[in-house]
Amino acid sequence: MAEIRREGDHTVFRIDAKERQALLDIVERIEPMMQISSWVSPRAYQEDDLEEEFRRLAGEDLMRARQADLATLREDLSGALPVLLGPDQTWGWVRALNFLRLALAEQLGITEDGWEDRYSARQHRRPPLATLHLLSWVQEELLEALP
Amino acid sequence: MTAVDQLATESTGTGEVTIEGRDRPWQVVVWNDPVTLMSYVVVVFRRLFGYDLETATNLMLKVHTEGRAVVATEPRERAEVSVAQLHAHGLQATLARD
Repeated sequence: MAEIRREGDHTVFRIDAKERQALLDIVERIEPMMQISSWVSPRAYQEDDLEEEFRRLAGEDLMRARQADLATLREDLSGALPVLLGPDQTWGWVRALNFLRLALAEQLGITEDGWEDRYSARQHRRPPLATLHLLSWVQEELLEALP
Repeated sequence: MTAVDQLATESTGTGEVTIEGRDRPWQVVVWNDPVTLMSYVVVVFRRLFGYDLETATNLMLKVHTEGRAVVATEPRERAEVSVAQLHAHGLQATLARD
């Protein structure tokens, strides 16, 4: 059973090889959805000219930052077990997980609070909703483990 | 000079042009989305704006219940940095004139 806890300055993520591979597969499947997600890359301005300027100044940096966070998550997951994360790595993970959750939720057509009630218990236990819940669990546990 | 600066530019009596748009306060607005964890929003507000737990929690609840909240009012350049940082954390944030 996977476990996340803080030990000293580090976050320790204990998972077995099978769980690790499942998470890596999830990242691989969802990452392409991020490219087309308006939640992952939202507007800063309502006005088109101001938005264009903001994109020109910040758009590339934001994209690189997202890619770096995802790369951190992938590389850490691919290394030795258990996964040991310093504070900066933990932040990279929680940001990456948020982007993955946003992209998946948008793909599922989740648009409003209370969406959980639209689905049966059985649907919540199976992919893709179970995937969303798994990512939520990892993110929540990492947040609790932050100093 | 941006369009906003041009709008805010005034000719002085001496014929010099001053740029006031950069110093005029802008609102940093965070919008609700149905999947971002409330605990995450609180932690991000504390990290980016230095808010205490109570302030960050109240702002998060305002976002959640009212759909949006102004989390900072800052000069435009600073507000753009704040919005970019919020976007880098996956939050839905926009700038609006104060």
